[in-house]
Amino acid sequence: MDNLQKELDNKINNIEKSPSGVSIIWREIMRDKLALISLVFLLLVTTLVYGVSIFLDLDEIVKIDLFAIHEPPSSDFWLGTDYGGRDVFGQLIIGTRNSLTIGFLVTLMTGLIGVTFGLTAGFFGGHIDNIMMRVLDFFIILPFLMIVIVFVSIVPNYSIISFSLIMTAFLWMGIARLIRSKALQERELDYAQASKTLGTPRWKIMFGQVLPNVSSLIIVTMTLNLAANIGLESGLSFLGFGFPEETPSLGTLLSYARNPQTLENRWWIWMPAAILIFLLMLSVRNVGEALKRATDARQRRG
Amino acid sequence: MGFLDVEDLKVHFPIRGGLLNRKIDAVRAVDGVSFSIEQGKTYGLVGESGSGKTTTGRAVIGLNNITAGKVFFEGNDLTDKKNKMLDVRKDIQMIFQDPYSSLNPKKRVIDIVAEPLRNYERLTKKEERYKVAELLEKVGLSPESILKYPHEFSGGQRQRIGIARAIALKPKLIIADEPVSALDVSVQAQVLNFMKDIQKELNLTYLFISHDLGIVKHMCDEIGIMYKGRYVEEGKTGDIFTNPQHIYTKRLVAAIPDIDPKNREKQKQFREEVQREYEESYESYFNEEGLAYGLKKISDTHAVALPEKG
Repeated sequence: MDNLQKELDNKINNIEKSPSGVSIIWREIMRDKLALISLVFLLLVTTLVYGVSIFLDLDEIVKIDLFAIHEPPSSDFWLGTDYGGRDVFGQLIIGTRNSLTIGFLVTLMTGLIGVTFGLTAGFFGGHIDNIMMRVLDFFIILPFLMIVIVFVSIVPNYSIISFSLIMTAFLWMGIARLIRSKALQERELDYAQASKTLGTPRWKIMFGQVLPNVSSLIIVTMTLNLAANIGLESGLSFLGFGFPEETPSLGTLLSYARNPQTLENRWWIWMPAAILIFLLMLSVRNVGEALKRATDARQRRG
Repeated sequence: MGFLDVEDLKVHFPIRGGLLNRKIDAVRAVDGVSFSIEQGKTYGLVGESGSGKTTTGRAVIGLNNITAGKVFFEGNDLTDKKNKMLDVRKDIQMIFQDPYSSLNPKKRVIDIVAEPLRNYERLTKKEERYKVAELLEKVGLSPESILKYPHEFSGGQRQRIGIARAIALKPKLIIADEPVSALDVSVQAQVLNFMKDIQKELNLTYLFISHDLGIVKHMCDEIGIMYKGRYVEEGKTGDIFTNPQHIYTKRLVAAIPDIDPKNREKQKQFREEVQREYEESYESYFNEEGLAYGLKKISDTHAVALPEKG
């Protein structure tokens, strides 16, 4: 008996695991060269931006220096200076950091709210779903841009956190709807019903059984949302409703290109920011597409 | 009080429409069904698609809301909402029809089979592994497969995993909802025989839902035939197959294929005869709405839904 026990013990403790979701995603990215390059680029930019910005002195960067207006790139100013004599390279680094931080924060918060909301509505269905969806409809019909602009002009302490929060308030609906529709499908499947007959409490079925089955959708949507959210701040700053000039941002740098002189003769002010935004969003998207394929066995390459 | 008693069970689904989404009518999926099962026996529920047999099974286990009627399990009223005794639920388990959707595709076998154990029993990780390996061995799967995902198994193997999960808590009653209809024929026999084996081993009671009379004949001690949410005939397996009284039952029995080619002509004749009888006397067996009449006993074990005039 002891021997048998040991044998069984050996057997069940030395079993090779079947590939899990993470390894499938990894294989897919390795197989898609474009996604791999994008991922490396993203990681590189992220570490660089967050790393370098520790050593940069924000006050030094945004200090106006009238003797160094519109200087072209040199060894002092790697990417030249803007109309206030401020170092563009420093602004670019801090601006990218801000854009990335906002992108991650907004994506995480909208994801969290959207998934919880959508999952609850879809899983419980019926009256709960009905009421929650009407609340969601209300948020959708709110004039997003107008409220953001009003908010920007009245809030005294305009920071990354408050900006992310206000954006989150208007951007969680898409993912909530998506998750809800999927949860409505999943809860009717036999495995969710089976869990009920096995005595699993409802919240456990919701988070333990249904959530893993919508997780691929969540990962893909959140990645693709991230691409959009990185550009979010830039868009608003370009319109003039982003951060004030003491807070450098990619959008502010871009908006200098509205001056025809700058657009034509001082490429160093706006070009790096434009290229960086373009590459960042493209890379996130490439990775997102690879993730999307990884979740669908028929489209997989790896 | 028997082991499982179902008394005048009704499950109606509302049809909503009109102004303010009012309830305008109801689908009477199960419309007054009564039966009782003794411990250790297999009770077959037979009927065509939409006859309410699956709904009956799901109502017993609590997946469908019961509109009216009572379900007693070992004397406990399962329809009593206040009486939320988890232990009773623990004793009733279900085997699902479709092994492809009844196992969570994102979970490993160990998580699937251990789910009921985690709800009702406090086991350490190691004990749990042993228990799951033991259960898998019992259903004829290799214990090494506990870390695999469901999609790595064939249909028959998946159904065995479903059975392993259902017997994990040592239930007394198992509701088997067409457990083999999604499997191919060679695997059907395997799974059915295996179900019979564990029935003996664990003294299980089955509520066996199926539309396949051949399987029901092989599996069940007693049979209830349903049509449009009502019983048309109920009795011991022998009663139903050798002495069918209701025209609907006769038709079902006539439809069982006979593999002996010598009987082919006879079988065909018999089937045509039954079909003729069915067309001629349909109206005398069903009421104006096309529903079955109430059951009347014709022997101790045999009851048929016949009209008043007999």
